[in-house]
Amino acid sequence: MVLVAIIIGCLIGVLVGSVLPIIPYTISGYLAISIIAALDSVFGGITSSLKGNFDLKIFVSGFFINAILSILLTYLGEKLNIDIYLAAIVVFVGRMFNNLGFIRRYYIEKWTKKNKKQEETQQ
Amino acid sequence: MKKESKVMAITLGIVCFVLFFVIFIQFRTIEKTDISGIEQMQEEQLKEALSQWKTKYEEVSSKLEDTSSKIKEYEEKKKSNQEATELVEKELETANMILGKTDVEGEGIEITIKDPEETDVEGNQIKLVEAEDLMQAVNELKRAGAEAISINDQRVVNMTDIANLGTRYIIVNSWQISSPYTIKAIGDRSHLESALSIKNGYVDQMKANGITVNIDDKKNIVIGKYEPKIDEDKMSLKYINNN
Repeated sequence: MVLVAIIIGCLIGVLVGSVLPIIPYTISGYLAISIIAALDSVFGGITSSLKGNFDLKIFVSGFFINAILSILLTYLGEKLNIDIYLAAIVVFVGRMFNNLGFIRRYYIEKWTKKNKKQEETQQ
Repeated sequence: MKKESKVMAITLGIVCFVLFFVIFIQFRTIEKTDISGIEQMQEEQLKEALSQWKTKYEEVSSKLEDTSSKIKEYEEKKKSNQEATELVEKELETANMILGKTDVEGEGIEITIKDPEETDVEGNQIKLVEAEDLMQAVNELKRAGAEAISINDQRVVNMTDIANLGTRYIIVNSWQISSPYTIKAIGDRSHLESALSIKNGYVDQMKANGITVNIDDKKNIVIGKYEPKIDEDKMSLKYINNN
């Protein structure tokens, strides 16, 4: 059921996003950094669900608040004439790779365990 | 447990919706925006270009301000010049009217003076109209406030000469005229008329000499400009210092 909801949400998002008018180019920079923040939250959520300590409230609040904060930081950086968004990207992408690494290791370990079990049963 | 999973499903659906929605808008924005020129330039270059344009803009706008203030100044000057010109033109017009250089019209009187028709025993007319009679009439009219006077359509101005030429002709402005004489005068009608027709005045004197004088009130009299009979070579002034 959760999977179905996710897929439906993705599809509607794609459809609506393809229909709505585009935004000004200057604002698209802010949108990009917020997308990175949101993706970071998504991967964090997947990792925590694999670990078994997934909390919906933490996930949703992280998803939206990280996106908004990253936009605000980028705006502040523009006003101060310093590229704060670079730091935000480094942090978010770094965390994304950490989480991806964890997910990869989790599934590889699962797979190897499965193989070992099969070998044991065959023997 | 079931309710919890329902809430989770809806929340995650909304989250996914928002995420993909934003991502696709961003995709399309980047795709459709024409950034080929801007993209290839470095930020430093862009900043430099921006500052250049800013200075140029400031220069041009200050120039514009200068020019528009100059235009304003010129317009004011033009206006004051125009006013001065109008004043001078008005003065010139009045001067020309007084000098008799233009045709004028207005209320006034028309006086007709005729030589007497009776003759004496020898067949000569008793008394003809003389230049002095016309001069007297002109002087009376001037004193009564006439603004323009003409005798047989000859404008009377400062330089006008009125003189006898033989017995039957009179010279006005070097033109030869004869009876009947018509004197036109522009001015206050009642003043002019009473100046001539008071008791023992001009009309009575003329009547005593057998000369008939008719005075007509006219609402609109046209008096032509001063047209003296002058030889061509007299037009060039030799003795008047024009400085």
